[in-house]
Amino acid sequence: MTSDAPIASQRNWFWNAPYFAVGLFAVAMLALVWGLQKRESDLQNDALGRDVRWAEQTMRLHMQGAQDHLVQLSRELAEGTLDRGGFQVRATQYIANNPELASIVWVDAGHIIRWTAPFETTEWIAGEALAGPQPQVFIRAHESGRPTYGEAYVNHRGTATVELYVPVQRGRAYLGAIVGVYSVEGMVRHLVPGWFADKYRLSIIGADGRMLAVNSTVTPADESISYAIDLDPPGNGVMLRAVAFRSDSGLARFVPALLIVGLTLVVVWSLWALRTHFQRRVQVEKERDRLFNLSLDMLGIVSLDGTFRRVNPAFERILGHASAALVGRPLLDFVHPDDTAATVGALRRLAAGEPASFENRCRSADGRYLWLLWSLNPVLEEQLLYAVAHDITGRREDEEKLKSAYAFRKAMGESLVTGLRAIDLEGRIIFVNPAFCRMIGWSEQELIGIKPPFPYWPPEAAASLQRDLDLTLAGQAPAGGFEMRIQRRDGERFDVRMYISPLIDSSGRQLGWMASMNDITEPKRARAELEAAHERFVAVLDGLDTAVYVADVATDEILYANRAFKNLYGFDAVGRNCWQVTRACCPERGDFGADPRRLSLEQLPREIFDGEIQHALSGRWHHLRDRAIRWVDGRVVRMEIATDITDRKRMEEAALQHQERLEQTSRLITMGEMASSLAHELNQPLSAIANYCMGCVNRLASGEYRREDILTAMQKASAQAERAGKIIRRMREFVKKSEPNRAPVVLAEIVDDAVGFAEIDARKAGVAIRVDIPADLPPVFADRIMIEQVVLNLVKNGIEAMQQARSFERELTVTAKPDGERTVGVAVADRGTGIDAGNAEQLFVPFFTTKPEGMGMGLNICRSIIEYHGGRLWAQPNPGGGSVFRFTLPIRSGGEASRGERATGREP
Amino acid sequence: MTEQRVYIVDDDEAMRDSLAWLVESQGFDVTAYDSAEAFLTACRDDMAGCLVLDVRMPGMSGLELYERLNARHCTLPVVFITGHGDVPMAVAALKKGAVDFIEKPFGDQDMLRLIRQCLERDREDRDRRRQEAAVARRLESITGREREVMELVIAGKLNKQIADALNISIKTVEVHRARIMEKMGVRSVAELVQAVMSRRQQ
Repeated sequence: MTSDAPIASQRNWFWNAPYFAVGLFAVAMLALVWGLQKRESDLQNDALGRDVRWAEQTMRLHMQGAQDHLVQLSRELAEGTLDRGGFQVRATQYIANNPELASIVWVDAGHIIRWTAPFETTEWIAGEALAGPQPQVFIRAHESGRPTYGEAYVNHRGTATVELYVPVQRGRAYLGAIVGVYSVEGMVRHLVPGWFADKYRLSIIGADGRMLAVNSTVTPADESISYAIDLDPPGNGVMLRAVAFRSDSGLARFVPALLIVGLTLVVVWSLWALRTHFQRRVQVEKERDRLFNLSLDMLGIVSLDGTFRRVNPAFERILGHASAALVGRPLLDFVHPDDTAATVGALRRLAAGEPASFENRCRSADGRYLWLLWSLNPVLEEQLLYAVAHDITGRREDEEKLKSAYAFRKAMGESLVTGLRAIDLEGRIIFVNPAFCRMIGWSEQELIGIKPPFPYWPPEAAASLQRDLDLTLAGQAPAGGFEMRIQRRDGERFDVRMYISPLIDSSGRQLGWMASMNDITEPKRARAELEAAHERFVAVLDGLDTAVYVADVATDEILYANRAFKNLYGFDAVGRNCWQVTRACCPERGDFGADPRRLSLEQLPREIFDGEIQHALSGRWHHLRDRAIRWVDGRVVRMEIATDITDRKRMEEAALQHQERLEQTSRLITMGEMASSLAHELNQPLSAIANYCMGCVNRLASGEYRREDILTAMQKASAQAERAGKIIRRMREFVKKSEPNRAPVVLAEIVDDAVGFAEIDARKAGVAIRVDIPADLPPVFADRIMIEQVVLNLVKNGIEAMQQARSFERELTVTAKPDGERTVGVAVADRGTGIDAGNAEQLFVPFFTTKPEGMGMGLNICRSIIEYHGGRLWAQPNPGGGSVFRFTLPIRSGGEASRGERATGREP
Repeated sequence: MTEQRVYIVDDDEAMRDSLAWLVESQGFDVTAYDSAEAFLTACRDDMAGCLVLDVRMPGMSGLELYERLNARHCTLPVVFITGHGDVPMAVAALKKGAVDFIEKPFGDQDMLRLIRQCLERDREDRDRRRQEAAVARRLESITGREREVMELVIAGKLNKQIADALNISIKTVEVHRARIMEKMGVRSVAELVQAVMSRRQQ
């Protein structure tokens, strides 16, 4: 997996963050605890200092008080008011009140101890002199004249002592000194209140740093909280030092820290345990996912209504649908329509809580249907189905194949015409196939298990058949098999050929002998039929009028020739050289499409010549087709088929000549028609003339006439003769022209002339002709007579078309107008019957006509004339009924105009 | 009875005029019309004579005019003048019972002969129609018993047979018979049969 690294680092970060946080928390807590404890100890130090200063002050006050008392005693002594007894009482009383004072002593100027109090003290003995450091202090006090403290020292009893020497002076006389002896221990024990001793260990330390006294025997373990201060008096480097007893033990002080550390460790351990557990879970899930994803079977979660919730990749691999495409879609979308009902039933059962297993076909992405074996288990509380699908298409196909293979083999076995019979090593029949049974007429049940002699052995051949069987059992059957004659149940004998092969089972053991038996009566019949077919083939070929022969391409020897060929070239043709035989009518070798001698068998069959050749002797035409083919024995041969086409050719030529003649005479015919029409027109004036004349003759003969009447009639007859003359002149002009003679002509004149000719017809048919040609229309470049003929033809057609029309509609219009720069368009419109859709296409085809007496040439010739002029002629329906014939003519003279028109004018 | 007259209908003025000139030269009365419509307007039932009709005319053609006249039971015989190529039209005209047709150009004698034939036929037609009218009138005057007798006479029965059939005496039959002959204006049984049958055929 490619995204492992970032995921791992991210996961590490996730996992380490809690540790980091916990560590940070622990450190913060420890710092906080330390800070609190620090602050507390500072506070304790402050309190200690305050208490110590307070203790020092108290001690100083006490000692000041004692000093004052001693000063009082000294003064009284100096005045002499104090005797030994008084001193004793007062000093002893004072010492009793102030336990820190060990004793009070009177020392005279000669350093001799005189009086001591208390009485019983053993330190100071009256009469003894001062010893050790005492004289120095005594002198210092004498010299200063003021109370002076001596240095603290430890006497021989081991008791630390400080002495106060108060000088006694009477006037200038120095009498000695009263000494107050302080027990340092007493000072510590008695000069500070009891609670102080509870809180602190108070000690007095000498100038040399030796501890002189301490108020408690308890030694604090921790002397970190202590305070020392100079004690003055007595001064001389004596210090008061206090050490606080700690109310909390060291252990107690470390409890928060220990707790913090301990809890941190617990948290870390629990985190680690959680992580381990989680990783195990993740591992398990991964394995499950892997199992889900790598499973070859399709696994999926489907909701109760059959919608896919989750599918494993096997779905995509097998069905081809992407997982995303499947999720959210119902299973039924993919199920084959024939299986939908069964699948729905299964889903219904599943919804009821029953597990289901069924097979159906599902559509894969490429549109194929795959057979799937589904196994579904419902979990109703989650409304889900857990599905396992197995692709069993292969198995199904295999089953189908097996089935069809079995059916095929069975059918084959049954349809086989070869009889199969198996015998065991002792000659007992163990198998026969249906063909065998059919062949001999005994049923399978009757044959299985019987031993020779078999019932199908004819009695007369039993001995030889037994011999054959013995040979077979001995394994000496000939490879070519036995040919034998056996009998059917009805006693009919028939010939068979039997091939023997050993029957070996799958383990290689020989079970017996398998014999296949063919009825060879049938092949004999087939051979006879083949001969008959050959005869038929020859009969057909000989029956043909077409001459057919086959020649070897290498030797040119004629291999086969049919009767028609032999009739043409002699009955000894077969075996001779084909070129010599067909000399009179054969294609040149060079005319062949391919040299047949070089053709290989793969290129066959191939046509190598197709043409018409005239027989040199008979003069008849033959259509020759030569093909290179594969002959029955595998040789390449050339087959030639020659069809006599003389008659067909003659007919074609006749048709061609006829066509040419028709085309040559078409113009003539049209002229004849015109002449005939003109002659017809002449009837009118001629009849009138005859009538006038005969009327005159009759009158003149009877003698009853008026001269004026006769005169008028003769004048009328004369006018009619003139009219006839005009018609004849027109006809002469028309006939005179035979060659097209193109020149610029005024179209209006042509149309007028044509309409003049048609006028007679028009009048007879009751048709009004309207001509509308603008006077400024440029002259067209055309043959006057030809165009006149076209216009006349179209006008006459129009008139004829309107014979059936209602009289008021019988109007024919001829209009012309410029059509582009180079052409003039002419339209002849009638209101007649119009053109049938069926006739529209044939309109211009020669000999097509709708008139009883028409030739069918008119429109065809008209179109030829117009196209000759570089224009075009076409017909279209008249919007008001009837039809319009339109044609175009070029305006400019010269070849380029007509050519240009021809190029563009052809398309309608 | 009106005089017979030749009616000419032709659109071509020269033709019409010259034909009228020719026909008049034989002493016939002629009236010419320049179109079929004009003739139809002028046409009356008691016109006598014949009609010379051009087949092709603008407007109503000769053939159409002929059909109209037939529809009116106008019995004027008609001569159609046809041009070259109008043969099919002429055949159609003949089938419809027109008297004759003549193709242009025609000889004057042919035309005049046809006109005379037509006039003759017209006259005969008129006579026949007049006779038929008379027979009808007479048949109406015959009484019931006379009619019974007449039917039997026509059927070819003898007087005796008629008397038996009608249960009357031969004498009475003879009286009836004489009266029938008298009323019908016939002289023989044959004439009687002819008159009655021609009446019945109509």
